[in-house]
Amino acid sequence: MPSNLSAHNITIRRGENVVVENSTFDIPAGKITAVIGPNGSGKSTILHAIAGLLELESGHLEIPTDAEISYVMQYTAIPVDAPLTVREAVEMGRWNQLGIFKRLSKADREIVAAAMDRLAIGDLSKRHLSELSGGQRQRVYVAQGIAQTHNWLFLDEPLTGLDINSAAVIDELIHDEPARGHSVVLTTHDLAEAQAADYVILMAGRVVAHGAPAEVLTAENLATAYGLAALHHDHSGLGIPDLDPHHG
Amino acid sequence: MEFFLEPFALGFQQRALMGGLLAAIMTAVVGTWLVLRGMSFFGDAFVHGVIPGIAAAAFFDFNPLIGAAIAAFLMVLLIEVIHRQTTLSEDTAIGLLFVGMLALGVVIVSKVDSYSGSITTILFGDALGVTATDLRTQLVLAVVVIVAGLLMYRPLLALAFNRDKATMWKLHPGRTHAIFMALVAISVIGSYQSVGTLLVFGFLVGPPAAAALISRSVKTMMLFAAGISSFSVWLGLTLSYHFSTAGSATMAVIPVFIFFILLIWKRFSARSSSRKVEVSNA
Repeated sequence: MPSNLSAHNITIRRGENVVVENSTFDIPAGKITAVIGPNGSGKSTILHAIAGLLELESGHLEIPTDAEISYVMQYTAIPVDAPLTVREAVEMGRWNQLGIFKRLSKADREIVAAAMDRLAIGDLSKRHLSELSGGQRQRVYVAQGIAQTHNWLFLDEPLTGLDINSAAVIDELIHDEPARGHSVVLTTHDLAEAQAADYVILMAGRVVAHGAPAEVLTAENLATAYGLAALHHDHSGLGIPDLDPHHG
Repeated sequence: MEFFLEPFALGFQQRALMGGLLAAIMTAVVGTWLVLRGMSFFGDAFVHGVIPGIAAAAFFDFNPLIGAAIAAFLMVLLIEVIHRQTTLSEDTAIGLLFVGMLALGVVIVSKVDSYSGSITTILFGDALGVTATDLRTQLVLAVVVIVAGLLMYRPLLALAFNRDKATMWKLHPGRTHAIFMALVAISVIGSYQSVGTLLVFGFLVGPPAAAALISRSVKTMMLFAAGISSFSVWLGLTLSYHFSTAGSATMAVIPVFIFFILLIWKRFSARSSSRKVEVSNA
């Protein structure tokens, strides 16, 4: 039975600003966890801290000793017109295991091919990243993430701004990962995506609530996280009652 | 045939060619990463940043390579200090040091007896004055840059791709960046005598930018960049011999021409292939 990941009273600072304050939560292993909250609420910051990319100001994280985290981030620094093919970009996911010098083995190439197949980009393997649509590029970055040996997959807003096809392929992969014994943690702005997860963490500079979607995504919690105005009209299909900010 | 051989008949002309070729290969390796990381402005500032070190070496009579190395180290250090200690962007820090170091270099050079000759040599190089000793030093520096560039391929590509991903892949982006800064310094120091500090920048950016237009991978980009810069050295020296133009400036302007020729060719070939698709779809 894989172990859960836990945070105890964590505070995280970025430069002068406290981005996440005194928050305690669990992330269940083998499940899909959605981290939801408004812009600047600390969603990506939490993923960065757990991945070891940010130091905690205080508190502590309990990360399973066998956790192998692969993190698909929202951004890349390299210019989109850099001479990099889809296959090369996905192969980079193996560098964590290969280090600086070790060449890709047959097994590595099979993992890369399988990752490209799962993201339906096998036929694009020789294309340049610059020749792809935004959605296809996002599929490449997710393929790179799953090509890396992992049992925890972190995805920072993996579905934001994608075409329907790419979003469907990535969404299917997200929901397929737990069946492979992997845990998924994703950040999202989409209430429906959060509702479809097994576990939700609602953020607003601190953890407002965490637990099953039905317990967390209540009108009261969302009003606390987003402010009343955001919920004046519910278009989420979640049955969240209308809240009038002028009479709140 | 004589048109091409005559410019390299004498020893000093052959040394100029060799010095230029070594500079071309060094700058192609380093310049590819500068272009991929969007650090062209840093490269421009950096090549000017070594000027006070070279000028100080001329004034106090010590090895200019040591002077350039000290100035390069100081420049990188001060950019980091400004970047970390203030909220100013790295771009502003680079700009500040660019002007500061260039001005300091000119101030020091103005105290040297042959003021105009010294500044011209530093800025535009003295390809025909390259000695056998200079070549040996350059060869050692070129080998260091090429070997380190090959060994650091994965860390450098990971750093160019995403610094945080490089951290997660355990490819040590901080250490990689420091080594890269050292390689930029070595390639500038190893090239300035042949092509001058001002025109080293042309070699750092011109050939990789032109190569990026026709490359399918980073490795081929590096090879094409080395090919374009080597061709530019040879053609530049040939033209400069026959038409009595400034050698290093002639060498440096050729990659820019090549860039635009490739750009126009790429535009035309893209247009003709899109027409073919339209015809086949009709």
